[in-house]
Amino acid sequence: MIETDVLVIGAGPAGSSAAKHAAKGGAKVILIDKKSEIGSPKRCAEGISNNGLENLGITPNPKYIAKKIDGCRLVSPSGTDVWLTTEEIELPETGYTLERKVFDKFMAMDAAREGAEIKIKTLAKSLKKEGDSVILTCEHMGESFEIKAKIIIAADGPESHVSRWAGLKNVTKAKNMESGIQFEMCGVEFERENIIEFYFGSCAPGGYAWIFPKDDDIANVGLAVIAEDTDKSAYEHLKEFVANCPATQNAQAVELNVGGDPVGGLVKDLYGDNILVCGDAAGQVNPLTGGGIISGMNGGMYAGQVAARSIEEGDYSSKFLKEYEEIVDKELGKEMHKYLKVKEYALSLPDDELDSIADAFQDMDFEKISTTEIVKNLVKVSPKALLKLGKLI
Amino acid sequence: MNILFILLFGDIMIVKDWCSYCGECAGICPKNIIEVKEYSLVFDEKECSRCEICVKACPLNALEME
Repeated sequence: MIETDVLVIGAGPAGSSAAKHAAKGGAKVILIDKKSEIGSPKRCAEGISNNGLENLGITPNPKYIAKKIDGCRLVSPSGTDVWLTTEEIELPETGYTLERKVFDKFMAMDAAREGAEIKIKTLAKSLKKEGDSVILTCEHMGESFEIKAKIIIAADGPESHVSRWAGLKNVTKAKNMESGIQFEMCGVEFERENIIEFYFGSCAPGGYAWIFPKDDDIANVGLAVIAEDTDKSAYEHLKEFVANCPATQNAQAVELNVGGDPVGGLVKDLYGDNILVCGDAAGQVNPLTGGGIISGMNGGMYAGQVAARSIEEGDYSSKFLKEYEEIVDKELGKEMHKYLKVKEYALSLPDDELDSIADAFQDMDFEKISTTEIVKNLVKVSPKALLKLGKLI
Repeated sequence: MNILFILLFGDIMIVKDWCSYCGECAGICPKNIIEVKEYSLVFDEKECSRCEICVKACPLNALEME
Protein backbone atom coordinates (compact mmCIF):
# COMPACT_ATOMS: atom_id res chain seq x y z
CA MET A 1 0.00 0.00 0.00
CA ILE A 2 1.15 3.53 -0.76
CA GLU A 3 1.69 5.56 2.40
CA THR A 4 2.00 9.30 2.82
CA ASP A 5 1.67 12.03 5.42
CA VAL A 6 -0.79 14.21 3.53
CA LEU A 7 -3.08 13.21 0.68
CA VAL A 8 -4.75 16.01 -1.26
CA ILE A 9 -7.76 15.12 -3.38
CA GLY A 10 -8.32 17.45 -6.31
CA ALA A 11 -5.68 19.49 -8.15
CA GLY A 12 -7.64 22.67 -8.72
CA PRO A 13 -6.05 25.87 -7.41
CA ALA A 14 -7.14 25.13 -3.81
CA GLY A 15 -5.80 21.56 -3.80
CA SER A 16 -2.53 22.52 -5.46
CA SER A 17 -2.09 25.35 -2.98
CA ALA A 18 -2.73 22.93 -0.10
CA ALA A 19 -0.26 20.41 -1.52
CA LYS A 20 2.37 23.08 -2.09
CA HIS A 21 2.19 24.47 1.43
CA ALA A 22 1.99 21.06 3.12
CA ALA A 23 5.12 20.00 1.19
CA LYS A 24 6.81 23.30 1.97
CA GLY A 25 6.13 22.62 5.66
CA GLY A 26 8.07 19.35 5.41
CA ALA A 27 5.26 16.80 4.95
CA LYS A 28 5.32 13.97 2.42
CA VAL A 29 2.48 14.86 0.07
CA ILE A 30 0.51 13.09 -2.66
CA LEU A 31 -1.87 15.13 -4.83
CA ILE A 32 -4.42 13.21 -6.91
CA ASP A 33 -6.78 14.43 -9.63
CA LYS A 34 -9.31 12.40 -11.57
CA LYS A 35 -8.77 14.23 -14.86
CA SER A 36 -6.25 13.51 -17.58
CA GLU A 37 -5.43 17.19 -17.84
CA ILE A 38 -5.29 19.39 -14.77
CA GLY A 39 -7.27 22.60 -15.41
CA SER A 40 -9.33 21.25 -18.29
CA PRO A 41 -12.17 21.65 -18.97
CA LYS A 42 -12.43 24.97 -17.20
CA ARG A 43 -15.50 25.57 -15.06
CA CYS A 44 -14.93 29.21 -14.38
CA ALA A 45 -15.28 32.78 -15.69
CA GLU A 46 -11.55 33.17 -14.95
CA GLY A 47 -11.58 36.59 -13.29
CA ILE A 48 -9.40 37.40 -10.27
CA SER A 49 -8.77 40.65 -8.46
CA ASN A 50 -5.43 42.33 -8.35
CA ASN A 51 -2.96 41.37 -5.61
CA GLY A 52 -4.75 38.09 -4.96
CA LEU A 53 -1.85 36.06 -6.32
CA GLU A 54 0.83 38.39 -4.95
CA ASN A 55 -0.64 38.02 -1.46
CA LEU A 56 -0.21 34.27 -1.85
CA GLY A 57 3.43 34.81 -2.71
CA ILE A 58 2.91 34.04 -6.40
CA THR A 59 4.31 36.31 -9.10
CA PRO A 60 1.75 36.33 -11.92
CA ASN A 61 3.16 34.65 -15.04
CA PRO A 62 2.18 36.18 -18.41
CA LYS A 63 1.66 32.64 -19.73
CA TYR A 64 -1.61 32.34 -17.79
CA ILE A 65 -2.75 35.97 -17.77
CA ALA A 66 -5.27 36.46 -20.58
CA LYS A 67 -6.06 40.14 -20.07
CA LYS A 68 -5.54 42.92 -17.58
CA ILE A 69 -8.83 44.39 -16.35
CA ASP A 70 -9.23 48.10 -15.60
CA GLY A 71 -12.73 48.28 -14.20
CA CYS A 72 -16.24 47.03 -14.37
CA ARG A 73 -19.63 47.87 -15.81
CA LEU A 74 -22.87 47.03 -14.02
CA VAL A 75 -25.89 46.73 -16.30
CA SER A 76 -29.49 46.85 -15.04
CA PRO A 77 -32.34 44.92 -16.69
CA SER A 78 -33.42 47.94 -18.79
CA GLY A 79 -29.84 48.44 -20.00
CA THR A 80 -28.94 51.38 -17.76
CA ASP A 81 -25.27 50.99 -17.01
CA VAL A 82 -22.92 52.07 -14.27
CA TRP A 83 -19.28 52.32 -15.31
CA LEU A 84 -16.60 51.94 -12.68
CA THR A 85 -13.42 52.43 -14.66
CA THR A 86 -10.31 54.61 -14.88
CA GLU A 87 -12.46 57.29 -16.51
CA GLU A 88 -14.64 57.60 -13.43
CA ILE A 89 -12.29 56.60 -10.65
CA GLU A 90 -8.81 57.79 -9.94
CA LEU A 91 -7.42 54.53 -8.63
CA PRO A 92 -9.57 51.61 -9.70
CA GLU A 93 -8.83 48.22 -8.27
CA THR A 94 -7.66 46.25 -11.25
CA GLY A 95 -7.53 42.54 -11.90
CA TYR A 96 -6.93 39.90 -14.53
CA THR A 97 -8.70 37.30 -16.51
CA LEU A 98 -6.79 34.04 -16.42
CA GLU A 99 -6.26 31.16 -18.79
CA ARG A 100 -7.34 28.53 -16.27
CA LYS A 101 -6.18 25.62 -18.38
CA VAL A 102 -2.64 26.98 -18.08
CA PHE A 103 -2.97 28.49 -14.61
CA ASP A 104 -4.18 25.33 -12.88
CA LYS A 105 -1.31 23.33 -14.34
CA PHE A 106 1.21 25.93 -13.25
CA MET A 107 -0.19 25.81 -9.70
CA ALA A 108 0.10 22.01 -9.66
CA MET A 109 3.66 22.33 -10.97
CA ASP A 110 4.45 24.70 -8.09
CA ALA A 111 3.23 21.98 -5.72
CA ALA A 112 5.36 19.40 -7.52
CA ARG A 113 8.43 21.62 -7.27
CA GLU A 114 7.91 21.82 -3.50
CA GLY A 115 8.05 18.03 -3.45
CA ALA A 116 4.44 16.89 -3.83
CA GLU A 117 3.91 13.73 -5.85
CA ILE A 118 1.11 14.14 -8.42
CA LYS A 119 -1.10 11.34 -9.68
CA ILE A 120 -3.38 12.32 -12.56
CA LYS A 121 -6.34 10.36 -13.89
CA THR A 122 -6.75 8.99 -10.38
CA LEU A 123 -10.28 8.92 -9.02
CA ALA A 124 -11.14 8.82 -5.32
CA LYS A 125 -13.64 6.00 -4.75
CA SER A 126 -14.13 5.59 -1.02
CA LEU A 127 -12.65 6.39 2.35
CA LYS A 128 -12.17 4.44 5.56
CA LYS A 129 -10.53 5.09 8.90
CA GLU A 130 -7.85 2.73 10.18
CA GLY A 131 -6.24 3.41 13.55
CA ASP A 132 -4.72 6.87 13.45
CA SER A 133 -4.82 7.05 9.64
CA VAL A 134 -7.29 7.09 6.80
CA ILE A 135 -7.24 4.91 3.69
CA LEU A 136 -8.51 6.21 0.41
CA THR A 137 -9.40 3.70 -2.28
CA CYS A 138 -8.51 5.08 -5.71
CA GLU A 139 -8.94 4.01 -9.29
CA HIS A 140 -6.45 4.59 -12.09
CA MET A 141 -7.09 3.22 -15.59
CA GLY A 142 -9.39 0.52 -14.26
CA GLU A 143 -6.98 -0.53 -11.53
CA SER A 144 -7.98 -0.15 -7.89
CA PHE A 145 -5.44 0.69 -5.19
CA GLU A 146 -5.23 2.23 -1.74
CA ILE A 147 -3.39 5.21 -0.29
CA LYS A 148 -2.89 5.41 3.45
CA ALA A 149 -2.53 8.94 4.81
CA LYS A 150 -2.29 10.62 8.17
CA ILE A 151 -4.26 13.59 6.91
CA ILE A 152 -6.41 14.01 3.85
CA ILE A 153 -7.21 17.42 2.43
CA ALA A 154 -10.50 17.33 0.54
CA ALA A 155 -10.31 19.76 -2.38
CA ASP A 156 -12.65 17.83 -4.63
CA GLY A 157 -14.65 20.82 -5.78
CA PRO A 158 -18.40 21.37 -5.77
CA GLU A 159 -18.97 17.59 -5.83
CA SER A 160 -17.50 17.41 -2.35
CA HIS A 161 -17.71 13.65 -1.94
CA VAL A 162 -14.72 13.18 0.32
CA SER A 163 -15.74 15.27 3.32
CA ARG A 164 -19.15 13.59 3.30
CA TRP A 165 -17.51 10.15 3.14
CA ALA A 166 -15.60 11.20 6.25
CA GLY A 167 -18.90 11.83 8.00
CA LEU A 168 -18.75 15.63 7.94
CA LYS A 169 -22.12 17.30 7.59
CA ASN A 170 -21.43 19.22 4.42
CA VAL A 171 -24.47 19.15 2.18
CA THR A 172 -24.90 21.92 -0.36
CA LYS A 173 -28.59 22.68 -0.59
CA ALA A 174 -30.03 23.18 -4.07
CA LYS A 175 -30.82 26.81 -3.25
CA ASN A 176 -27.14 27.45 -2.58
CA MET A 177 -25.74 25.82 -5.71
CA GLU A 178 -25.52 28.09 -8.72
CA SER A 179 -25.86 26.34 -12.07
CA GLY A 180 -23.18 28.04 -14.12
CA ILE A 181 -22.88 28.00 -17.87
CA GLN A 182 -20.63 29.88 -20.24
CA PHE A 183 -19.50 30.25 -23.81
CA GLU A 184 -16.03 31.38 -24.69
CA MET A 185 -16.79 33.59 -27.68
CA CYS A 186 -15.01 35.56 -30.37
CA GLY A 187 -16.45 38.54 -32.19
CA VAL A 188 -17.60 40.13 -28.93
CA GLU A 189 -18.12 43.88 -29.40
CA PHE A 190 -17.07 45.72 -26.25
CA GLU A 191 -18.16 49.31 -25.67
CA ARG A 192 -14.92 49.89 -23.79
CA GLU A 193 -11.84 47.68 -23.62
CA ASN A 194 -10.57 45.76 -20.58
CA ILE A 195 -13.81 46.03 -18.62
CA ILE A 196 -15.64 43.14 -17.01
CA GLU A 197 -19.40 43.43 -17.36
CA PHE A 198 -22.16 42.22 -15.02
CA TYR A 199 -25.81 41.99 -16.03
CA PHE A 200 -28.46 41.76 -13.32
CA GLY A 201 -32.10 40.81 -13.09
CA SER A 202 -34.34 38.27 -14.71
CA CYS A 203 -31.76 37.37 -17.38
CA ALA A 204 -30.24 35.14 -14.67
CA PRO A 205 -32.65 34.35 -11.81
CA GLY A 206 -30.75 33.80 -8.58
CA GLY A 207 -27.46 34.92 -10.10
CA TYR A 208 -26.16 37.26 -12.79
CA ALA A 209 -24.75 37.20 -16.30
CA TRP A 210 -21.18 38.24 -17.12
CA ILE A 211 -18.84 39.14 -19.93
CA PHE A 212 -15.19 38.77 -18.98
CA PRO A 213 -12.82 39.83 -21.77
CA LYS A 214 -9.86 37.57 -22.60
CA ASP A 215 -8.56 39.37 -25.70
CA ASP A 216 -9.52 42.13 -28.19
CA ASP A 217 -12.77 40.42 -29.27
CA ILE A 218 -12.68 37.28 -27.10
CA ALA A 219 -14.61 36.87 -23.85
CA ASN A 220 -16.13 34.41 -21.44
CA VAL A 221 -19.85 35.07 -21.75
CA GLY A 222 -21.84 33.26 -19.11
CA LEU A 223 -24.39 33.27 -16.38
CA ALA A 224 -25.38 31.45 -13.25
CA VAL A 225 -28.89 30.69 -12.05
CA ILE A 226 -30.43 28.97 -9.07
CA ALA A 227 -32.36 26.09 -10.61
CA GLU A 228 -35.33 26.40 -8.29
CA ASP A 229 -35.75 30.10 -9.19
CA THR A 230 -36.44 29.38 -12.86
CA ASP A 231 -38.28 26.92 -15.10
CA LYS A 232 -35.67 27.18 -17.82
CA SER A 233 -32.30 25.45 -17.88
CA ALA A 234 -29.17 27.53 -17.47
CA TYR A 235 -28.37 26.79 -21.11
CA GLU A 236 -31.69 28.25 -22.30
CA HIS A 237 -31.02 31.38 -20.27
CA LEU A 238 -27.56 31.69 -21.81
CA LYS A 239 -28.85 31.36 -25.36
CA GLU A 240 -31.41 34.10 -24.68
CA PHE A 241 -28.81 36.34 -23.09
CA VAL A 242 -26.39 35.97 -25.99
CA ALA A 243 -29.15 36.67 -28.51
CA ASN A 244 -30.32 39.82 -26.68
CA CYS A 245 -27.07 41.36 -25.45
CA PRO A 246 -25.72 43.99 -27.90
CA ALA A 247 -22.12 42.91 -27.25
CA THR A 248 -22.71 39.31 -28.35
CA GLN A 249 -25.11 39.70 -31.30
CA ASN A 250 -22.33 38.88 -33.75
CA ALA A 251 -20.24 36.66 -31.51
CA GLN A 252 -19.50 32.99 -32.08
CA ALA A 253 -18.99 30.38 -29.38
CA VAL A 254 -15.88 28.23 -29.53
CA GLU A 255 -16.27 26.52 -26.16
CA LEU A 256 -19.05 25.60 -23.74
CA ASN A 257 -18.38 25.40 -20.01
CA VAL A 258 -20.70 24.22 -17.28
CA GLY A 259 -20.48 23.66 -13.57
CA GLY A 260 -21.95 24.17 -10.14
CA ASP A 261 -20.81 26.96 -7.86
CA PRO A 262 -21.55 26.68 -4.13
CA VAL A 263 -22.56 30.16 -3.01
CA GLY A 264 -24.05 29.46 0.42
CA GLY A 265 -20.95 30.41 2.39
CA LEU A 266 -18.53 28.18 4.29
CA VAL A 267 -19.63 24.59 4.91
CA LYS A 268 -20.49 23.54 8.44
CA ASP A 269 -17.55 21.21 9.02
CA LEU A 270 -14.20 22.40 7.72
CA TYR A 271 -12.25 19.71 9.59
CA GLY A 272 -12.49 16.46 11.47
CA ASP A 273 -10.13 13.73 12.66
CA ASN A 274 -7.48 13.31 9.90
CA ILE A 275 -9.30 15.63 7.48
CA LEU A 276 -9.35 19.25 6.30
CA VAL A 277 -11.65 20.63 3.61
CA CYS A 278 -10.77 23.54 1.29
CA GLY A 279 -11.76 25.31 -1.92
CA ASP A 280 -15.21 24.89 -3.47
CA ALA A 281 -15.66 21.71 -1.41
CA ALA A 282 -15.49 23.93 1.68
CA GLY A 283 -17.68 26.69 0.23
CA GLN A 284 -14.68 29.05 0.11
CA VAL A 285 -16.42 31.11 -2.54
CA ASN A 286 -17.54 34.74 -2.41
CA PRO A 287 -21.32 34.22 -2.13
CA LEU A 288 -22.04 37.48 -3.95
CA THR A 289 -19.75 37.16 -6.96
CA GLY A 290 -19.32 33.39 -7.02
CA GLY A 291 -15.57 33.99 -7.31
CA GLY A 292 -13.46 31.40 -5.54
CA ILE A 293 -9.98 31.13 -7.03
CA ILE A 294 -8.10 33.29 -4.57
CA SER A 295 -10.25 32.45 -1.53
CA GLY A 296 -9.91 28.75 -2.33
CA MET A 297 -6.14 29.09 -2.72
CA ASN A 298 -5.93 30.91 0.59
CA GLY A 299 -8.03 28.17 2.18
CA GLY A 300 -5.71 25.61 0.59
CA MET A 301 -2.65 27.41 1.91
CA TYR A 302 -4.02 27.47 5.47
CA ALA A 303 -5.01 23.79 5.19
CA GLY A 304 -1.56 22.84 3.91
CA GLN A 305 0.20 24.79 6.64
CA VAL A 306 -1.95 23.36 9.43
CA ALA A 307 -1.53 19.85 7.99
CA ALA A 308 2.25 20.23 7.94
CA ARG A 309 2.27 21.38 11.58
CA SER A 310 0.00 18.50 12.50
CA ILE A 311 2.41 16.01 10.89
CA GLU A 312 5.33 17.62 12.67
CA GLU A 313 3.55 17.34 16.01
CA GLY A 314 2.28 13.81 15.31
CA ASP A 315 -1.27 14.86 16.21
CA TYR A 316 -3.91 14.42 13.49
CA SER A 317 -6.93 14.77 15.76
CA SER A 318 -9.79 17.15 15.10
CA LYS A 319 -8.70 18.96 18.25
CA PHE A 320 -5.38 19.86 16.66
CA LEU A 321 -6.85 20.54 13.21
CA LYS A 322 -9.43 22.96 14.65
CA GLU A 323 -6.79 25.66 14.22
CA TYR A 324 -7.59 25.56 10.51
CA GLU A 325 -11.20 26.55 11.10
CA GLU A 326 -10.12 29.41 13.35
CA ILE A 327 -7.80 30.77 10.67
CA VAL A 328 -10.42 30.39 7.91
CA ASP A 329 -13.11 32.07 9.99
CA LYS A 330 -10.82 34.97 10.73
CA GLU A 331 -9.36 35.40 7.25
CA LEU A 332 -12.32 34.48 5.03
CA GLY A 333 -15.41 33.91 7.16
CA LYS A 334 -16.27 37.48 8.18
CA GLU A 335 -16.04 38.86 4.65
CA MET A 336 -18.06 35.97 3.29
CA HIS A 337 -20.79 36.53 5.82
CA LYS A 338 -21.03 40.16 4.72
CA TYR A 339 -21.22 39.23 1.05
CA LEU A 340 -23.90 36.64 1.81
CA LYS A 341 -26.10 39.38 3.30
CA VAL A 342 -25.54 41.66 0.31
CA LYS A 343 -26.38 38.82 -2.05
CA GLU A 344 -29.61 37.98 -0.24
CA TYR A 345 -30.64 41.61 -0.51
CA ALA A 346 -29.59 42.01 -4.16
CA LEU A 347 -31.49 38.88 -5.20
CA SER A 348 -34.65 40.14 -3.50
CA LEU A 349 -34.83 43.08 -5.91
CA PRO A 350 -37.21 42.91 -8.87
CA ASP A 351 -36.10 44.26 -12.26
CA ASP A 352 -37.73 47.71 -11.82
CA GLU A 353 -35.96 48.33 -8.51
CA LEU A 354 -32.63 47.31 -10.03
CA ASP A 355 -33.33 49.82 -12.81
CA SER A 356 -34.07 52.64 -10.38
CA ILE A 357 -30.90 51.88 -8.41
CA ALA A 358 -28.91 51.99 -11.65
CA ASP A 359 -30.55 55.34 -12.48
CA ALA A 360 -29.68 56.73 -9.06
CA PHE A 361 -26.09 55.45 -9.42
CA GLN A 362 -25.63 57.65 -12.51
CA ASP A 363 -25.10 60.68 -10.27
CA MET A 364 -23.05 58.98 -7.58
CA ASP A 365 -19.32 59.32 -7.15
CA PHE A 366 -17.46 56.08 -6.58
CA GLU A 367 -14.08 56.48 -4.95
CA LYS A 368 -12.93 52.96 -5.66
CA ILE A 369 -14.17 49.68 -7.08
CA SER A 370 -15.15 47.30 -4.36
CA THR A 371 -18.24 45.57 -3.13
CA THR A 372 -18.14 47.65 0.04
CA GLU A 373 -18.06 50.86 -1.99
CA ILE A 374 -21.04 49.73 -4.05
CA VAL A 375 -22.96 48.83 -0.89
CA LYS A 376 -22.02 52.20 0.62
CA ASN A 377 -23.59 53.98 -2.33
CA LEU A 378 -26.50 51.56 -2.44
CA VAL A 379 -27.62 52.52 1.07
CA LYS A 380 -27.38 56.20 0.05
CA VAL A 381 -29.87 55.76 -2.79
CA SER A 382 -32.19 53.17 -1.28
CA PRO A 383 -33.78 53.48 2.18
CA LYS A 384 -34.68 49.79 1.96
CA ALA A 385 -31.04 48.90 1.40
CA LEU A 386 -30.06 51.10 4.34
CA LEU A 387 -32.42 49.12 6.52
CA LYS A 388 -31.11 45.75 5.36
CA LEU A 389 -27.43 46.48 4.85
CA GLY A 390 -26.69 49.58 6.92
CA LYS A 391 -25.09 47.51 9.67
CA LEU A 392 -22.55 45.99 7.31
CA ILE A 393 -20.69 49.19 6.53
CA MET B 1 -31.36 -11.59 -8.65
CA ASN B 2 -29.98 -9.37 -11.39
CA ILE B 3 -33.27 -9.30 -13.23
CA LEU B 4 -35.14 -8.52 -10.03
CA PHE B 5 -32.65 -5.76 -9.27
CA ILE B 6 -33.08 -4.22 -12.71
CA LEU B 7 -36.86 -4.46 -12.44
CA LEU B 8 -36.86 -2.84 -9.04
CA PHE B 9 -34.12 -0.29 -9.36
CA GLY B 10 -32.64 -0.50 -12.83
CA ASP B 11 -32.04 2.56 -14.95
CA ILE B 12 -33.73 5.06 -12.71
CA MET B 13 -31.42 7.70 -14.09
CA ILE B 14 -30.89 8.34 -17.76
CA VAL B 15 -27.81 10.38 -18.60
CA LYS B 16 -28.11 12.11 -21.96
CA ASP B 17 -25.13 12.03 -24.24
CA TRP B 18 -24.65 15.81 -23.98
CA CYS B 19 -23.74 15.55 -20.29
CA SER B 20 -20.49 17.43 -19.65
CA TYR B 21 -19.62 15.64 -16.39
CA CYS B 22 -19.43 18.93 -14.50
CA GLY B 23 -20.47 17.26 -11.25
CA GLU B 24 -23.09 19.75 -10.11
CA CYS B 25 -25.59 16.90 -9.68
CA ALA B 26 -23.11 15.04 -7.48
CA GLY B 27 -22.57 18.11 -5.31
CA ILE B 28 -26.23 18.60 -4.45
CA CYS B 29 -27.22 14.93 -4.25
CA PRO B 30 -28.32 14.64 -0.60
CA LYS B 31 -27.30 10.99 -0.60
CA ASN B 32 -23.86 11.53 -2.14
CA ILE B 33 -24.38 8.63 -4.55
CA ILE B 34 -23.40 10.15 -7.90
CA GLU B 35 -19.86 9.35 -8.97
CA VAL B 36 -18.46 11.61 -11.67
CA LYS B 37 -15.71 10.03 -13.69
CA GLU B 38 -13.93 11.98 -16.38
CA TYR B 39 -16.36 10.85 -19.07
CA SER B 40 -19.15 9.01 -17.28
CA LEU B 41 -21.64 9.35 -14.46
CA VAL B 42 -22.32 6.41 -12.15
CA PHE B 43 -25.41 6.38 -9.92
CA ASP B 44 -25.70 4.07 -6.94
CA GLU B 45 -29.32 3.57 -7.94
CA LYS B 46 -30.30 1.27 -5.11
CA GLU B 47 -29.65 4.19 -2.75
CA CYS B 48 -31.50 6.74 -4.89
CA SER B 49 -34.51 8.31 -3.17
CA ARG B 50 -35.89 9.78 -6.43
CA CYS B 51 -35.86 13.33 -5.08
CA GLU B 52 -34.95 14.62 -8.57
CA ILE B 53 -32.87 17.48 -7.17
CA CYS B 54 -30.12 16.48 -9.61
CA VAL B 55 -32.51 16.49 -12.57
CA LYS B 56 -33.66 20.03 -11.79
CA ALA B 57 -30.18 21.44 -11.18
CA CYS B 58 -28.47 20.16 -14.34
CA PRO B 59 -27.40 23.24 -16.34
CA LEU B 60 -27.81 21.28 -19.59
CA ASN B 61 -31.01 19.32 -18.89
CA ALA B 62 -28.94 16.18 -19.36
CA LEU B 63 -30.57 14.04 -16.67
CA GLU B 64 -33.90 12.28 -16.81
CA MET B 65 -35.60 10.05 -14.30
CA GLU B 66 -37.53 7.01 -15.51
